Amino acid sequence: MDKFRDCGDIKKDLRYLYTVQFWVFLVSRNANRGERKSRERERGAMAEDLVLDTAIRDWVLIPLSVVMVLIGVLRYFVSKLMRSAQIPDAKLVKEGQVIVRARNLRAAANFIPPKSFRARRLYYSNEENGLLYVPKGQAPNAQAQMFSDPNMAMDMMKKNLSMIIPQTLTFAWVNFFFSGFVAAKIPFPLTQRFRAMLQNGIDLSTVDVSYVSSRSWYFLNLFGLRGLFSIILGEENATDDTQRMMQMTGFGFDPTKPGC
Amino acid sequence: MVTKSEEDQLNRLEAQVDNAGGGAWEYLCLVRKLKVRRPDKVLKHGLAILNDSKKRSALGTEEWTLCEQVAVAAMDCQSLDVAKDCIKVLRKRFPDSKRVGKLEGMLLEAKGLWAEAEKAYSSFLEDNPFDQVIHKRRVALAKAQGNITTAIECLNKYLDTFMADHDAWRELAEIYISLQMYKQAAFCYEELILSQPTNPLHHLAYADVLYTIGGLENLQAAKKYYASTINLTGGKNRRALFGVCLCTSAIGQLSKGRNKEDKDSPELQLLAVAALEKDYKQRAPGKLPLLTSALKSLRVSS
Repeated sequence: MDKFRDCGDIKKDLRYLYTVQFWVFLVSRNANRGERKSRERERGAMAEDLVLDTAIRDWVLIPLSVVMVLIGVLRYFVSKLMRSAQIPDAKLVKEGQVIVRARNLRAAANFIPPKSFRARRLYYSNEENGLLYVPKGQAPNAQAQMFSDPNMAMDMMKKNLSMIIPQTLTFAWVNFFFSGFVAAKIPFPLTQRFRAMLQNGIDLSTVDVSYVSSRSWYFLNLFGLRGLFSIILGEENATDDTQRMMQMTGFGFDPTKPGC
Repeated sequence: MVTKSEEDQLNRLEAQVDNAGGGAWEYLCLVRKLKVRRPDKVLKHGLAILNDSKKRSALGTEEWTLCEQVAVAAMDCQSLDVAKDCIKVLRKRFPDSKRVGKLEGMLLEAKGLWAEAEKAYSSFLEDNPFDQVIHKRRVALAKAQGNITTAIECLNKYLDTFMADHDAWRELAEIYISLQMYKQAAFCYEELILSQPTNPLHHLAYADVLYTIGGLENLQAAKKYYASTINLTGGKNRRALFGVCLCTSAIGQLSKGRNKEDKDSPELQLLAVAALEKDYKQRAPGKLPLLTSALKSLRVSS
């Protein structure tokens, strides 16, 4: 618990630092109204030049990243344990293989004689019994299928839960322990609109938007550690939340309609 | 497919291990990775490691993979007692394993007890109808019994579901060739070319089959595929070079008397002949006169 006491010290120090800077800023503004232009530039430099204690880096940024990596690894192992042995559906397996074969046909069509290519193409897209032929309008809507099949629905629920719960818990933890101080400075300037999102714990409205709270560090890690996980845990890992989030929004895909 | 560098490494390790120079474990790992068939060496060196309790405990969990590898090699060399011991050890360690069950089925096959093996495999397939390995073992069982037609049937049924399995297509192609069903073999080779278009061996085999079927169209296609093989191997494949010469002369013979407008230029054949002669001069200069006389008889008399 020592590091949290240190954080409290940092909080106190930083609040003191802010207040000092703020009063310095006010005082200098009032005192030198005449030479506003050059002074403002100077004041701007002084007011924006916050010195962040290195202890923040040691006790906030690095532990937060480490904790997120560990939680990700934990989730990966838990998901591996919880994965029920799926008996693959006959139709799905065959469909998967047909798709691979058809894809090969499309990719390497130049390598076989034209007669063979035409024969195979007809085999797939024949109107009566072609393997890949889907009459217009009959294509099962992927989303409806997903909800009607109870096994798949359970699986989706499990996967979503395993994503939502750790995220919520970590977010709450970050908010509780690491709020109320400036955690990092973003190297590029931002507009004022980001203030609400990035500086939630910091109640001073004059601090430059580049100085962000630890909540934004949490979000940065959330999206950024994906690459790290794919190196550590191999390609297929359950921590690929962003992909799943994209999947959830991308339904309504009808293969018979053109332009999909 | 085993690349040249891997082949060199394998040979080097093999020589090293044969001369008692250590490195047996790396050799066995490489054999397992490349899936080459070296049953006698695997058996000898694998057994040496397994029987030495110190080396065995040094392997840790890899011990069981080695056990499986040695069991398969033992069955290949017909040392069924060794195989049985290995399988017994594995069964004790993994009582409910399908992998061990497959090994037991293989042992029954090796002993020649076809009916029991068939029964064992069918029971596995009832549990899990999508076990690719067991399907393939059934095909191998039929083939070992000499029942080629059953093998073809099983393989076709397997390919109906798992049509992206190129090893199965290759096996089917070889079976068809052994039965001289060349058209079907050509279809299988087309599948292989589709799935692996940059593999010269498939082009070569396809060209061979087309040449065997005969007919002007097929001969022209065969010539194209021999040419593509030469292209893919950088001109090093002697069989393809010979193929080109043979095809050109066969086409010439077939189209003798027809109008020569759409005749291919003889450049390809001349180039192939030149390449062959250079190759023979380098490697087997004694056989060069044989080559030149054989090639001369193939020259298309235009």
